[in-house]
Amino acid sequence: MVEKLIATWGQSPLLQVQHVTFGYTQQQVLLYDVSMQVLAGEFIGLLGPNGSGKTTLLRLLSGVLTPQQGQVLLEGRALSQWKQRQVARRVAVVPQELHMPFDFTVEHMVSLGRTPFISSFWGSRQSQDQAIIQDAMQVTGVSSLAGRVFNELSGGERQRVTIAMALAQQPLALLLDEPTSHLDIKYQIETLELVQRLNRERGVTVLAAMHDLNLAARYFPRLLLFQRGVVADASPAEVLEPDLLSRVYGIQVRVGILRGSEHLSVLPPTLVDVPVTLEHEPFPMVHVIAGGGSGALMMRALADAQIPFSAGALHIGDSDHALALRLAREVLTEQPYAPISPEILQQVHDRLQQVSLLIVCPTAIGPGNLGLLQEAVQAARRGLAVILVTEPSQTDCVSDISTLPSLSVGELAAFKARDYTGGLGFQCIEALLQAGAIVTTSVASSLNEVKKHVVVSH
Amino acid sequence: MKMVIRPARRLATPVVFVFLIVALLVTMLVAISFGSVSIPFLTIIQIVLNNTGIFHFFAYWDPVLAIILLQVRLPVVLGAALVGAALAVAGALFQGMLRNPLADPYLIGTSSGAALGATIAFVLPFDTVYGTFFSLTPVLAFIGALLTVLLVYALARSNQQTPVVMLLLAGVVVNALLTACQTLILNLWPSDNFGRILGLFNWLSGGIALVGWGPLGLVAVIVLLSLCGAMALGRVLDVFALGEEAAAHLGLPVELSKFLIVIVASLLTAAAVSISGLIGFVGLVTPHLMRLLLGPRHRILIPASALAGAIFMILADLLARSVLAPTVLPVGIFTALVGGPFFLFLLRNNKREYKW
Repeated sequence: MVEKLIATWGQSPLLQVQHVTFGYTQQQVLLYDVSMQVLAGEFIGLLGPNGSGKTTLLRLLSGVLTPQQGQVLLEGRALSQWKQRQVARRVAVVPQELHMPFDFTVEHMVSLGRTPFISSFWGSRQSQDQAIIQDAMQVTGVSSLAGRVFNELSGGERQRVTIAMALAQQPLALLLDEPTSHLDIKYQIETLELVQRLNRERGVTVLAAMHDLNLAARYFPRLLLFQRGVVADASPAEVLEPDLLSRVYGIQVRVGILRGSEHLSVLPPTLVDVPVTLEHEPFPMVHVIAGGGSGALMMRALADAQIPFSAGALHIGDSDHALALRLAREVLTEQPYAPISPEILQQVHDRLQQVSLLIVCPTAIGPGNLGLLQEAVQAARRGLAVILVTEPSQTDCVSDISTLPSLSVGELAAFKARDYTGGLGFQCIEALLQAGAIVTTSVASSLNEVKKHVVVSH
Repeated sequence: MKMVIRPARRLATPVVFVFLIVALLVTMLVAISFGSVSIPFLTIIQIVLNNTGIFHFFAYWDPVLAIILLQVRLPVVLGAALVGAALAVAGALFQGMLRNPLADPYLIGTSSGAALGATIAFVLPFDTVYGTFFSLTPVLAFIGALLTVLLVYALARSNQQTPVVMLLLAGVVVNALLTACQTLILNLWPSDNFGRILGLFNWLSGGIALVGWGPLGLVAVIVLLSLCGAMALGRVLDVFALGEEAAAHLGLPVELSKFLIVIVASLLTAAAVSISGLIGFVGLVTPHLMRLLLGPRHRILIPASALAGAIFMILADLLARSVLAPTVLPVGIFTALVGGPFFLFLLRNNKREYKW
């Protein structure tokens, strides 16, 4: 199968998402700068909590939605340059559930899958179309239901008819939106095995949004963990990692291999023992305040240096949040678009009392996150070491580590430019500097400073 | 298609179509024959065939009969057939597109637009000027209906999309607005001329107006072309039943298709309304009736609805003319009085649950 696919498609991705930003309204961005790709013949599970944007990603991939920024490529060409009909000949979508008001028969439903191949209005089905329809019903095992009314079938049968309809499109890629979400366990297995067979025997590329982590672990060799952005993209063993899952889903889970099973299983927390934070892990001594992508470099550097850190509070949907979910030991999370709430601020407060170093990344300061800065000032006055990271400035400053007296005018101006609170934010920065915060202009020098503190604290 | 095992409870499609065509012809004959002077079937056929110019039967009948037939009965019966077919197909189109069993041809503003147009025609003294050439009422009703639909469509459109819910709501609001305008005009206008108001009332309650062959031909052209368009849209409507997003996934240009469906359905409705006034029920019930008999596939449903709508309307018009002859009752009464019980009978006798 693999040889065939390589011969047909080489290694160029079938579907590619490039730096896509999307929101249903201009103001509220749901996905920010998402990139991913799907190679021909892959079998991918898309995981993520409710509201994480899985369905939106699928709709972007099928071309029903157009990204506000960035682009989606099908066979290397932007979706916007394809004709809708041509896309439908390559990408088929299996919706979560199909609501059919009329009493269409199964065969008629499956025949609707030929729509992209039938010339617009007057065209009728050829014998070749008929053969494809029969084949699609055969493969999905619904031939015996051909004359039955779709609405009178059970949920599992309906799901197979829907897949047959998608197959009649003879697609290269099949996008499934939670195909098993309202099926009983038998049909869940049947449906996924059908899809797996299509992938193995016919080389159909599959991307399926999944809620059930155990089924995902069992069937999909590649998993994408999604939370308004790609948090992790790897094999089940790497993605189904308890800490990662509990950060993304917000619930403590246990992952292991059950006796007699070949696959990973994800179990919810037991009712008896209240979930406790993992004791054996070294507690992070560094906390990062970031936002809007300002913390990306710093967090990656910390992770590379294997320095455990916590981050927050960050908004869901912020690219820093998606990254922190992957890299940080603990992430304080706030709902999208909301100012940071008192409870979360309290959590930040508690956190700052436990750590020995705070890193403030050059995020824009607005009314939403001003509270964070004020917490930082309080902590600094209590004696917490603070590193203020600035963007590498154009000014020719002698050293890249400086404290208040030697701060150049250009750097102060850079702080001011990021303040959208009419001066309150800048006051916080000044207060931090007066309390002895160190200003660094490069990731390397920041990391040196961090190492000093972490070593000191041990 | 030979492989298909149809649900046994449904009648075979060709049988139903043959039955409908025969029924249509018989109904037309009966309707033409019936009236103040009855005309024998054979004579009707001979007169009609003589007028095709191909046949030359000996004219043994009273020449008055030929005049009554050609100038009065035939145009009315043909008009009724056109109106019925147009309304039934428009109903099928709207029900399919909106995926709503309660949709009827007047849903998105056609009726109030046509009524306002007709009111203006009745109230304004234009008729005295143009009345000698053609009647203004159908023209203004037609224009009013079409303009209203375009207005509703424009109101519902935002962001290059026309959500069905917006279309329905805009339709309801515009309907209310135009009806208010119509009432306002009627109230403000000096109502010394009672005959005009009565004429308007009769128009609003619906009836097949006697029009000349010219206007009838025009309406026939519009209706027949739109019927062809509707048949061509049959496949599209089937795909629409899956929902707009699924239709888009199948490569269907959803917004364009929606616009075409609305335009075709509105042309049908406007053309029908222009010669019949507001006749309810046909457009709502005929598609349901045909779905009960033949199933929901639009390629079959649309031509069947056209035939059944025509039969239904000819019968209703016949009853309206003959029950209290010589008084002519509004046709709308009979579409509901006869059609309603018949539909309920079929619905209740249907073995399977009708999911429309």
